[in-house]
Order: sequence, then C-alpha cells, then structure tokens
Amino acid sequence: MMEELAHHILDVARNSLEAGATRVEITVEEDPTGDLLRFSVVDNGSGIPPYVQRQLANPFFTTKSGKKVGLGLPFLQAAVERCGGNLEIRSDVGRGTTVVATFPYYCWDRPPLGDMPRTIVSLLVGNGHLDLCYRHIFNGQSFELDTGEIRSRLKGIPLDTPEVLLWLRQYLAENLNILSGGGGYEVARRAG
Amino acid sequence: MKSLAELDKLREKLQEEMRLREGKEDVKVVVTMGTCGIASGAREVLTAILEEISKRGLKGVTVTQTGCAGLCHCEPLVEVERPGRDKVTYGHVDEKKAREIVVSHLVNGQIIKEWTIK
Ligand code: FES
Repeated sequence: MMEELAHHILDVARNSLEAGATRVEITVEEDPTGDLLRFSVVDNGSGIPPYVQRQLANPFFTTKSGKKVGLGLPFLQAAVERCGGNLEIRSDVGRGTTVVATFPYYCWDRPPLGDMPRTIVSLLVGNGHLDLCYRHIFNGQSFELDTGEIRSRLKGIPLDTPEVLLWLRQYLAENLNILSGGGGYEVARRAG
Repeated sequence: MKSLAELDKLREKLQEEMRLREGKEDVKVVVTMGTCGIASGAREVLTAILEEISKRGLKGVTVTQTGCAGLCHCEPLVEVERPGRDKVTYGHVDEKKAREIVVSHLVNGQIIKEWTIK
C-alpha cells in the first residue's frame, strides 16, 4: 500500500510519463486553516480514452498487455474515499490529463503528505528533459520549481546527473521546510 | 541554505569531470517504477542508489527508471547493465540492498547472486 500521498503523486505522474507527457505540472496545496489538502497533476500526455475513463476505479482493469491489474488510481480513489475527499480526473485524448485529489487536512485516515522532494527527484531520474513544474502552497505562501530554469543554469550538464538530483532534493527539502515554518501542524495551530 | 547560484558551482565541477570521461561507455542502472514498485519502495531504492553513487564519487553510471515489468511479486527491481556483459536483475531490493549493489556490483564488479532473479 501507498503510505504517503507523495507516493500516490509519484504514481499518478508516472502514468503521465507512460502517456508520453513532455510537460507535467504538480501542485500541492496545504491549507490547514481551511482544513484542506489538495494535489493536482496536469500533463500534456496522450490522454485517457473515454472507455478507459469509465474503468478507472476498477482495480482489475488495465490497458497494459502482460499486466493483470492496474492498481494505481483505485488505490488513490480508496484513500480519498476513506476521508470523504474527492478525486477528479479529466482527460482529453491527444491533449492531456488532469488528476485532482482533495482531502480534509485534519482527518486521521488521511495519509501524510510524505517526502515530496524524493518524489520529484525520482520522477526526474532518467528523465532529464522532462519539463516539470512543481508548485507547493502552504497557507497561501508558495514555492515553485521549474526544471526549465534549472536546465538553463546547467548549460548542457544533464539534469538527471546524480549529483544534480541530490542537490535538487536538498534544495526542495530546505525550501519546503521554510515554507511550512519547519513543521506544518504547529504553524497551523499558532496561526489558527 | 541552497540557492540556485550555488548550482553554478556544482555545474562547473561536473563539466570538468565530463571532459575527463569523454567517449567512455556508461554502466546502466534501471529501477522499475510501476504502481507495485512505488508501493514497495522503488522511490526509496532509487534515491539510495543516487546517494551511494554520489558518495563514492562514481562516474559513468546512468540511472534510469522504467514502468511496470509485470513482476509485482519481486518489486522493487533493479537491473544493472555493464557494457559488453549480460543484464543482471535484482529483486526485492530495499535501500540497504541497493547500497550494497552499488558497492559490490558497480564498484567492485561483483554480482550478488543470491539477490538476482532470472
Ligand atoms: S505494477 Fe505490478 S507488476 Fe507492474
């Protein structure tokens, strides 16, 4: 099972890559004050045909040959349902897919957000050319990472060089830590 | 505190190293990242491999990922391909094993047979 929302996010974004996406936008919005945690993954991949969309909640349905089950989205659906959240999937064949999952922020059953830096870095492994935009909003403050900007600084050194990825991981970790004031829950309580 | 300006220094160092390696073929490490892979720790394995490679200063290793390999029960999977050798696939890899694979297989050229699957 997926223990973190960051695992689900990685899984959804991996689907984007499988669908041939060259651009993926991931947004995580933490709004403790408004009791909301939402994440979205928007891609420009090949999209999901309507007949597949109807089957997305069915764990035993997959389009991949040689694979018996397609568990990714049903797992997420189940996680959302456990806390009375909402999962929305919009897809246009040939244009891309948008997945938005919304959870109540304060819900015992909600998986923790987890390690987003690790998720972002994992997506980029072997995908140095991917245009990845990651936006994280915490109580209205936001942080953004765009791989386009990073790549132009690297002047030809591949983005997915291990040293660069590890640097990015730390860069993300530090910035997210600052964004949340070094510990989400405490900040939320003080602010509230 | 990491700033983007700091990235420039790292880039200069990497550019120098790349010049030295010009033309040599890379060893390839592939981690499968299907849903089962992710659920069973592929993300953790992937970052452990990056860390170990960087810690040991290994050059000429390309780390990539692939989708589901249809082998749920053996996930996470790690494949190692050295130029001119057969591909070796490790199953049930965790962070600790991943680090050992880097040291034993990539640094010392020693396959860890007990962890391979065919
Ligand atoms: S995701 Fe389970 S076999 Fe690939």
